[in-house]
Amino acid sequence: MRAGRAAGWAGAFLLAALAAVAVVGPWLLGTDGRERVARPYEPPSAERWLGADDLGRDLFDQLVIGARGSLGIALLVALAATAAAALVGGVAGLAPPWAAATLMRIVDLVLALPFLPLLILAAAFLGPGLGVRAAVVAALVWAGPARLVRAGVLAAWSRGHLQAARAMGASAGYLLLRHASPVVAPLLVPVFVRTAMTAIVLDASLAFLGLGDPTIPSWGTMIHWASVRGAMLSDAWLWWALPPGTAIVVTVTALALVGVATEDRLNPTLRKDR
Amino acid sequence: MTVASRPAPARIGLARAALGRAGGYVAVFAVALTITFLLPRALPGGPLRTLGGGEVGDLDPAARAKVVAAYGLDQPLHVQFGRYLRDLIRLDLGESFNGGRPVVEAIREALPWTLLLVGTSVLLTAAVGVLLGVIAGLRRGRGKGNLLLAGVLLFDAAPAFWVGMLCILFFGVHLGVLPTFGVTTAGHTGLAAVGDVASHLVLPVGVLVATGIGQFFLVTRFSVASALHAPHVEHAHARGIPHRRVVARHLLRPALLPVHTQLMMELGWLVGGALVVETVFAYPGLGRLTFDAIQGRDYPTMQGTFLTLTVTVLVMNALADLTYPLLDPRIRARGRS
Repeated sequence: MRAGRAAGWAGAFLLAALAAVAVVGPWLLGTDGRERVARPYEPPSAERWLGADDLGRDLFDQLVIGARGSLGIALLVALAATAAAALVGGVAGLAPPWAAATLMRIVDLVLALPFLPLLILAAAFLGPGLGVRAAVVAALVWAGPARLVRAGVLAAWSRGHLQAARAMGASAGYLLLRHASPVVAPLLVPVFVRTAMTAIVLDASLAFLGLGDPTIPSWGTMIHWASVRGAMLSDAWLWWALPPGTAIVVTVTALALVGVATEDRLNPTLRKDR
Repeated sequence: MTVASRPAPARIGLARAALGRAGGYVAVFAVALTITFLLPRALPGGPLRTLGGGEVGDLDPAARAKVVAAYGLDQPLHVQFGRYLRDLIRLDLGESFNGGRPVVEAIREALPWTLLLVGTSVLLTAAVGVLLGVIAGLRRGRGKGNLLLAGVLLFDAAPAFWVGMLCILFFGVHLGVLPTFGVTTAGHTGLAAVGDVASHLVLPVGVLVATGIGQFFLVTRFSVASALHAPHVEHAHARGIPHRRVVARHLLRPALLPVHTQLMMELGWLVGGALVVETVFAYPGLGRLTFDAIQGRDYPTMQGTFLTLTVTVLVMNALADLTYPLLDPRIRARGRS
């Protein structure tokens, strides 16, 4: 699967570039995206590549600063949700049946709740801080992956070499570290990638609904103001609404490419027709 | 996804499994009931801030006490909860803080539209996702398959609200071929009215399907691709069974089981996720009602819509549960024995 691998590398390269923009970019800008430096609704020019919004704030600068927020929340949510999924899924795969059943009921419950309304409720009441948003999104997205991890642990447990080691008297801790974790750990890569993707889109959705942090420029907030301030009614959507949306698509697609490439690589049944 | 996670051991009959499932639904409902009751009350920025559409914090103490008593907010929590349950049994969800309209009435108006939107898009999402997944799975690693994969990943990465905005601009404003907001245009009767509603559905459903098929596509593509050289498939080919039938019976059918699991896992997401699209297209469904209620700190409406959304997810879950034996012959066999 050469094309798949190339796409995976392309995704990784894109992500690295985006991360560089997010880390270094804001320092190289003329403004912090909040200062009024131009005419309101100014169209793009050689000096101001994406023009200005209704308050005369530089849109290109906002776009660059937005990378920080999106990648930041992706990283935070993915770390927290993957850790939670590994913990709950791992425990549910090893615990006695009644405990496992209880844990999985909790997972079922989280999955059955109307996800987005709950998220909006929490965002509306708890405020728009980055940490709060990340915690809320993570609290809702860990459940599906937890089930995946548990299935992985159960599958690992029934493997022949693991059963053999157990029959020879290996302790549970040894089995877990030496034999189960190499099988389960690769599962966490796609989990990490997928929760990061979900986090970016969800966070942008919240911002689009007007629940983002108004003091920090972000891609979702840019689209929100573009929509509210009538950019869609003129050509302004081209430099106001299109770039941040494209940025989201590029970032999430880059993550997806990495995710699909690792999944394909990890699956031995697919390897032979490479 | 609630209760179908653990396949019941063969010895336990289907009846007992069904009973366990029903118990699971009741448990989810009870917890949802408690959450929907407690959450708005426990969070900061209580109802007194915006009660009746204005800032009540500035009211003089007497008027404030009157408002509080009128809505029962001065009672201890357990009394409020008891009253909430009692009213719920009578299908009385209270009156909106914002305008005093009965919540049940507002939900009754919004629910059919959401069911229409969500029902159509869930079915189409699964169907289109599976179909494209099979095509891409059969052509994995080749030009067309890769192209399809790239296309689906791109749409999967796009936020629904943004795609919706671009669709409004393109199909509504530039081409002018499709309505871009609401559910009806005045002045249609009979068949024309049905067509009118359908034309209002095209864009929101299209956006939900295009941005939602990703996981279904990937799951199907994966199972088809990994079973492509499985012994039973090669054997079927060797027996001279036509390619189409091999695909339909030996690749597609087993691939539907993980798709079904995926569907159950995503229901809560698909039902709630319609909210953003309803907002973009000014679609008068439950999602919009919920969003407006949250923005206005309208507790009774919020509780009502959350409960309705949870029940919707549970009912769809139950439906999906019931269709599972149709897909998995092993479960049917167990029922017969």
